[in-house]
Amino acid sequence: MIWHGIQFAQPWFFWLLLLIPLLMAFYFWNLRKKQPGITFSSFEGLKGYRPGMRQRLRMLPLIFDLLAAVAIIIALARPQSSSSGQNVSTEGIDIVLALDISGSMLAEDLKPNRIEAAKKVAEQFIDNRPNDRIGLVVFSGESFTQCPLTTDHAVLKNLLSGIQSGMLTDGTALGEGLATAVNRIRNSKARSKVIILLTDGVNNMGAIAPQTAGEIAKTFGIRVYTIGVGTTGYAPYPFKTPFGIQYQNVEVQIDEDVLRQIATETGGKYFRATSTPKLKEIYAEIDQLEKTKIDVTEFRHKTEEFYPLVLVALVFLALDGITRYTLFKTLP
Amino acid sequence: METTELLKKVRKIEIKTRGLSSHIFSGEYHSAFKGRGMAFSEVRDYIAGDDIRTIDWNVTARFNHPFVKVYEEERELTVMLLVDVSASGAFGTKTQLKKDLVTELCAVLAFSAIQNNDKTGIIFFSDIIEKFIPPKKGKTHILRIIRELIEFRPRHTQTNISEALQYITRVIKKKCICFVISDFFDRNFQDALKIANKRHDVVALRIYDERESRLPNVGMVHLKNAETGEEKTVDTSDSRFRNEFQEDWNKRMHSLSDTFAKSGVDHTKIRTDDSYVKPLMHLFKKRGRRR
Repeated sequence: MIWHGIQFAQPWFFWLLLLIPLLMAFYFWNLRKKQPGITFSSFEGLKGYRPGMRQRLRMLPLIFDLLAAVAIIIALARPQSSSSGQNVSTEGIDIVLALDISGSMLAEDLKPNRIEAAKKVAEQFIDNRPNDRIGLVVFSGESFTQCPLTTDHAVLKNLLSGIQSGMLTDGTALGEGLATAVNRIRNSKARSKVIILLTDGVNNMGAIAPQTAGEIAKTFGIRVYTIGVGTTGYAPYPFKTPFGIQYQNVEVQIDEDVLRQIATETGGKYFRATSTPKLKEIYAEIDQLEKTKIDVTEFRHKTEEFYPLVLVALVFLALDGITRYTLFKTLP
Repeated sequence: METTELLKKVRKIEIKTRGLSSHIFSGEYHSAFKGRGMAFSEVRDYIAGDDIRTIDWNVTARFNHPFVKVYEEERELTVMLLVDVSASGAFGTKTQLKKDLVTELCAVLAFSAIQNNDKTGIIFFSDIIEKFIPPKKGKTHILRIIRELIEFRPRHTQTNISEALQYITRVIKKKCICFVISDFFDRNFQDALKIANKRHDVVALRIYDERESRLPNVGMVHLKNAETGEEKTVDTSDSRFRNEFQEDWNKRMHSLSDTFAKSGVDHTKIRTDDSYVKPLMHLFKKRGRRR
């Protein structure tokens, strides 16, 4: 706690530390000069004298002096600790990732395939937002909350990695997925509520139309970022056959109009990810878009931390004074 | 030092020491340092109680009245004072410095000497012969010696006793009484001492201060050697060191006493904060008994 997050408001005072060797040099130079001494008639009886412990520690008051000086100089530099971390975390936002896990997500136009790429990028996204509550909704033919909103990102990432295509009935219930995500996030007290919807197809199942779900989201003040995944044209798609996995090119169909409409209505943005790097960029952009809003409200609390240093200096000065005139007192 | 102040000091020492030498030391000194023999000095009227053996029959017959011969000791002794003026003399912790004590001792000896009609000279030495005042009689001469003792500033700081002893053997041809007054912080002067004692009658007066023999427990002390200027810090709270210091002193004192005894030199030690009357009396009596 003492060393982390310490800043110095007047670091130029550290130049005074250069005086320390100067002080020492002065002391030793002074020592070399003639000192006052008691004139003694003969050193004959002192020939066998060996200095004791006390005499060898005679430098101690000087060391105390210098330590006190160092402590005072550090105190002059005004060490401050800023306790900003906790304040920022309370300002975090809520995000629900809605992930399409339909069979078409196995297409390999994104490497290694769409779903794995989406998982990997989502994981990085989670790592970049340590202060936010993040939830996870998966959907294909039906929708399902894989993880409710949580700050425990270890659990979240664990659940994220457990996602597989084929967990749910096949199909793309885009509207239902969005509605589930909205349902998860709507009661949140967070300043900003965000859903990131990732899909690669056209709504073909479910009881709720995507537009309806988008309107619900709008009602609750939730921004929806939509991401369409898939190259333009045809994508290689693996089929299981008795002779092993065979690839077939399937036309990519994404209902871009609906996705764009949802995004613009709720104040979000629509993206098209044609490759893994592109997907990464998209997530980075969302990250940036949401981050700037937090930075505005960020503030820092600065506490002056000179007290312990002054105390240390005082103790050393006292030690110096006491030992110099008691333990290490030298006549005359 | 101003002249009036100096004279005042000389006067003070004179009053103090002359009384001592004429009352307390007169007889003792006389018997301690004797001349060659008895010499006839005069005849005087016989007084009842005189030894009849001393009657001078020739004179008695001539005047028809008893006369006795009076003998007097043949004196005309020379007293040389060898005074150590090295820097170690400027030390003393209780009543006076060692060199102040030396001054007084010299004054006492000088006054005792002129009272017995002896000549007194003085040699100041450090590691060289600093000053030589040849032996002479008379009160003014004594006062001059005292003045020099107070006023003298040596050129050198260290001690060389054998140099001084060799010098006196060389310079004073006639047998003299030679007082060596020093703290004897020196070595290797035994041979010179022996040789000097053959020709002269050497008496050693050893001056010391209590703190030279025993250190008090006063914590750390920064000391400066008066003779060499060397500096040293010692921790006097260390009882082991204090014991060693005292033992070392005792050892050196014993070896000094041995040196004196081997050379046949009478000696006594005088402490700065003690009266010097007692040790001097003791020394004189010891010598007087021996003759």
